[in-house]
Amino acid sequence: MDIHYMVKELWFRKRRTLAATIGLAAGMAVLIIMNALSSAYSEASRQPLEEIGADITVQRAGDVPEELSGPVFACSAVTIHKNEADRIQALSGIQGFAQALLLWIFDADRFTIVLGLDPANPDGPGVLHTQVIDGRFLEKGKREALVEASFAEKLAIKTGDPVTVAGETYPVVGILDASRASKIAVANIYLPLREAQKIAAASKQVQAVSPFEPEDANILFIKAAPEKIEPLTQSIKTIMGDNVSVATPASFLKRLGSLFALSDQFTQVTSLIAVVVTLLIVLKTMAANLTERAGEIGILKAVGWSNGHVVRQLMGESILQCFIGGTLGLMLAILVTWALGFTQVSIPIPWEMSPTPHFLPGGGDPIFKTLRLPVRVSWSLAGSAILLSTLIGAVTGGFLSRHIARIKPSEVLRYE
Amino acid sequence: MNDHAIVSATDLNKGFGSIQVVKGVNLEVKRGEFVAIVGKSGSGKTTLLSLLSGLERPSSGRVTLNGQDITDSSEDELSLVRREKVGFIFQSFHLIPTLTAWENVALPLFPVKIPVPKRRQRALELLAKMEMAHRAEHRPAALSGGEKQRVAISRALVNNPEIVFADEPTGNLDSVTGKAIMTTLRSLHQETGLSLVMVTHDLDLAESADRILRMQDGEVVS
Repeated sequence: MDIHYMVKELWFRKRRTLAATIGLAAGMAVLIIMNALSSAYSEASRQPLEEIGADITVQRAGDVPEELSGPVFACSAVTIHKNEADRIQALSGIQGFAQALLLWIFDADRFTIVLGLDPANPDGPGVLHTQVIDGRFLEKGKREALVEASFAEKLAIKTGDPVTVAGETYPVVGILDASRASKIAVANIYLPLREAQKIAAASKQVQAVSPFEPEDANILFIKAAPEKIEPLTQSIKTIMGDNVSVATPASFLKRLGSLFALSDQFTQVTSLIAVVVTLLIVLKTMAANLTERAGEIGILKAVGWSNGHVVRQLMGESILQCFIGGTLGLMLAILVTWALGFTQVSIPIPWEMSPTPHFLPGGGDPIFKTLRLPVRVSWSLAGSAILLSTLIGAVTGGFLSRHIARIKPSEVLRYE
Repeated sequence: MNDHAIVSATDLNKGFGSIQVVKGVNLEVKRGEFVAIVGKSGSGKTTLLSLLSGLERPSSGRVTLNGQDITDSSEDELSLVRREKVGFIFQSFHLIPTLTAWENVALPLFPVKIPVPKRRQRALELLAKMEMAHRAEHRPAALSGGEKQRVAISRALVNNPEIVFADEPTGNLDSVTGKAIMTTLRSLHQETGLSLVMVTHDLDLAESADRILRMQDGEVVS
């Protein structure tokens, strides 16, 4: 194999080389962009849950209380019993687990959204400790409260003030601005889970809708490896029975409604079409090239090149050409994905995960998590594309050169 | 076969379909001999040359080249024989258009593991011998017919062959250039003792050879 000769052949047949290279570059660019977009939508769909420290959230839909007074289940998300939570926590594949209790509290003078969380658990709402803007986060075993910044501003509550929830008074130890981080499970007041459970257990409205014991909850936050999410979802549904609502990245992806979000199969089919079209372009161009060069190949064989030498030379040309095409395609894809990175995507948050009741001003409006599409070409995607380009070169070059290398020099030279 | 023979053919036949192109040819070319094969167009001269050089397989009969029976040799064995023992000169030069003159000369050495500088040096030596050193970096398109044929002759010699087969080497050249090429070939034969088998329809050119074989309707008639 002579690289100098290879380069000269490609350079000499500029138009043909350019046609094959551009065809391959376009095909590879489409392939890379489609896969990068698919990954970007998948990543975007994980963000709403990631922000609240989970890959899966679990709720159970229940009835609306007859009277909206005192503490009630938020969004009709009713009791998840302790034994159910324990069984779910014991499932294989779970990397992190947190329980919480989301309540609406209708006091005579105001409406409050309360989230009870486990201060010692870093998963689930525990991630909100990074959003404290004044004071400190809740501490285990202490009877205290955190207040959301906008709520604190509205009611002129400061760190150190007392705050009353369902008749119980707690010292405010910090102000939290969760609105910057999450659209899910955002509350006005955050209490230790124990305190929220006591409030719920003592509430007639809560008990009337769904019996609630002091160790129960109404929302679970689960962390799991991506490949475990689907089987875990099935197991959770089996444990929880009807009316369970499981939110996963896949369910958010479906809500996006984009072609990319519809199914991985769409990306796979598009990628396959891009590869096949690219393969055909390279095959056609190279076939024409080799037919044109039959005489030249006859000369090579006449002066002593074996079939193997001819195959290696032609395959080398094809591989080199496809490698260049693949690299150009990669550069084009990087440029396009960089531009696509400026587009924004709005992920609708399901109503049961949005804690603001629809009857409050703005409560019925759809809530979106808006973010810049996290589209990028990963090293593995870039490497795979280059490898695939080279493979296309090897396959087409190998197939065609084996065929043409069998040419009899005397036959070609006779007709020259 | 005579030990002194570089190439020999025994009862050689070649047909393409129903047409018999070479019929029962028996011949022997001695080492260092210059043999011209003459005959009218279609008499089977070029096919005979292809059979003797291993470019074509006979329908029947046997060919021995440099002491090796090549009749049943595999494609790769024939390639090796051509690469190591044989040089070719064609009427249409058959140079590779993308390569420069020296690269065309070195073409038979590409599959051999010889460093590029050595390859180049060998090619330049031969081009210098052909008074073509100044055209070493030119592509075939920039060369005249005579220059192309000198490059082709250099290519035929680059592997130090035992024998050179030339098929109408002056066929595409004007008479003056043709004569110059013939002078070159004759000098090479005389100076190096190279065996040379040349096909031509020009009897004047054939007169330069040590021996003339005449072909008619696929047979060697004298």
